[in-house]
Amino acid sequence: MSILPGIYASQITGHLVTGSFDSIATVSPTSSATVTFSSIPSTYKHLQIRILASVAQTVNPPFNWLVTFNGDSAANYSRHRLQGDGSSASSYGIGSQNYFELSYINGSLTTMNAAVVDILDYQNTNKYKTTKSLSGYDANGSGFIVLNSGSWQSTSAITSISITQNSGGTGLYAPNTSFALYGIRG
Amino acid sequence: MAAGSTYTPIATYTVSSAQAAYTFSSIPSTYTDLVVVINGTFGAFNTLFMQFNSDTSSNNYSDTGMNGSGSAASSYRGTSGNASGTGGMGATRSTTILQIQNYSNATTYKTTLWRANSPSDYVQTGVSLWRNTAAINSITFTANATTFQAGSTLTLYGITAA
Amino acid sequence: MANTMTLISSVTVGAGGAASIDFTSIPSTYTDLVLKISARTTRANEGDAISVSINGVATNQSSRSIEGSGSATGSSTFTSFRTQADGANATANTFGNSEFYFPNYAGSTNKSASADGVSENNATAAYAWLTANLWSSTAAINQITVTDLNSATFVQYSTAYLYGIKSS
Repeated sequence: MSILPGIYASQITGHLVTGSFDSIATVSPTSSATVTFSSIPSTYKHLQIRILASVAQTVNPPFNWLVTFNGDSAANYSRHRLQGDGSSASSYGIGSQNYFELSYINGSLTTMNAAVVDILDYQNTNKYKTTKSLSGYDANGSGFIVLNSGSWQSTSAITSISITQNSGGTGLYAPNTSFALYGIRG
Repeated sequence: MAAGSTYTPIATYTVSSAQAAYTFSSIPSTYTDLVVVINGTFGAFNTLFMQFNSDTSSNNYSDTGMNGSGSAASSYRGTSGNASGTGGMGATRSTTILQIQNYSNATTYKTTLWRANSPSDYVQTGVSLWRNTAAINSITFTANATTFQAGSTLTLYGITAA
Repeated sequence: MANTMTLISSVTVGAGGAASIDFTSIPSTYTDLVLKISARTTRANEGDAISVSINGVATNQSSRSIEGSGSATGSSTFTSFRTQADGANATANTFGNSEFYFPNYAGSTNKSASADGVSENNATAAYAWLTANLWSSTAAINQITVTDLNSATFVQYSTAYLYGIKSS
């Protein structure tokens, strides 16, 4: 019996091509008011969070997700938004807040709010952290489309992200609610 | 935490002669989100409509949008339609980018975020709803009252969450 | 199919600042380009408009915007590509967050680009822009230069990242 020759690594062609966009983690909450991504790896340049979520609430919709970094709940955030509500466009901004927000969340457990959040240079210790997100929901007669921005006035690298329902949220999430974190190499 | 490279091209189509519509069919259910990039021209500026799973007559579509005309910012709403409006495309090179998240779940209605860019006409963004809990397996894009011109491209990508 | 979205090149502005951020010799082997920009300039305002010139020229460009200022909205047309950066009057250490998406950048048709950009500031005033951009040229894009439209300079730690996306 002849010995089958081995394959040297140098003989392999057509190397697997991997890109710069990696999935890091997904949270599918069931009953917690806060979703947290912790121990975020430092190996990327940018982060993207992709959200599809809705939560039952005790107040009339819409309401917001409140976002903080590294457990910082002090007045170290600013937030702004450009939004359309189906009848007019408007803009809003405020500083010295305890969070920035993702707008808006509908309370229906079948109509989901979608958001794509981009955070550039999240590891950079020379910059405050600026986020940009496109989010919204439509509920066949109501809804919002929003371009949100936020700033965390800290030069610390982001190691955790918490997303919390604001007051009125019940913690009861719609099925298939998911918060997915991605890293982008640079 | 698990990490994995994602953002995978699924299908691409280039229009060879003017046509009113195109369908991505047999979309695999193995991704988490879909991203569609449409780059091209219409015969004249008009709405780009989107329908799922050949649902063309259910009145199950609605949308909320925001427009910039070049002189005014505004917002609009469409309700109980037979298709979702996802902004417009024009006779000069236009680009529409759509994000369809958790498209293959069979529990919730389907929400799409979109950005539409017709530089000679409008810049737009919006969110569309399909009031059907079925998993999405096909997407049809239709040029309202006009046609996709030759050279237009439609590309579908899949993103897989960890 | 292989996963796409690949870093082509990145630039970080060093000490002393820079008048522009340049990407040259862009390979034609991708389908689309994504340009992510985190920038701050020396312009004496909370925000600043930045643009891109393509293949060394800034002509034959047009764009259309939706704008938010933190208190008001607007819409305009321009003869250049547009997005946002932070200016010198914004909160210290704060940089904008913008992205251009160039589909079919190496094709033989005119080139359109989608751009979303924000500046931030610890006050009411900050800017959010959505723009639809057009370069009326059938040439392939092989060079992108990020510039300031108010003759200001990019400050240290401004960054830009160019990614390629393949459709197959």
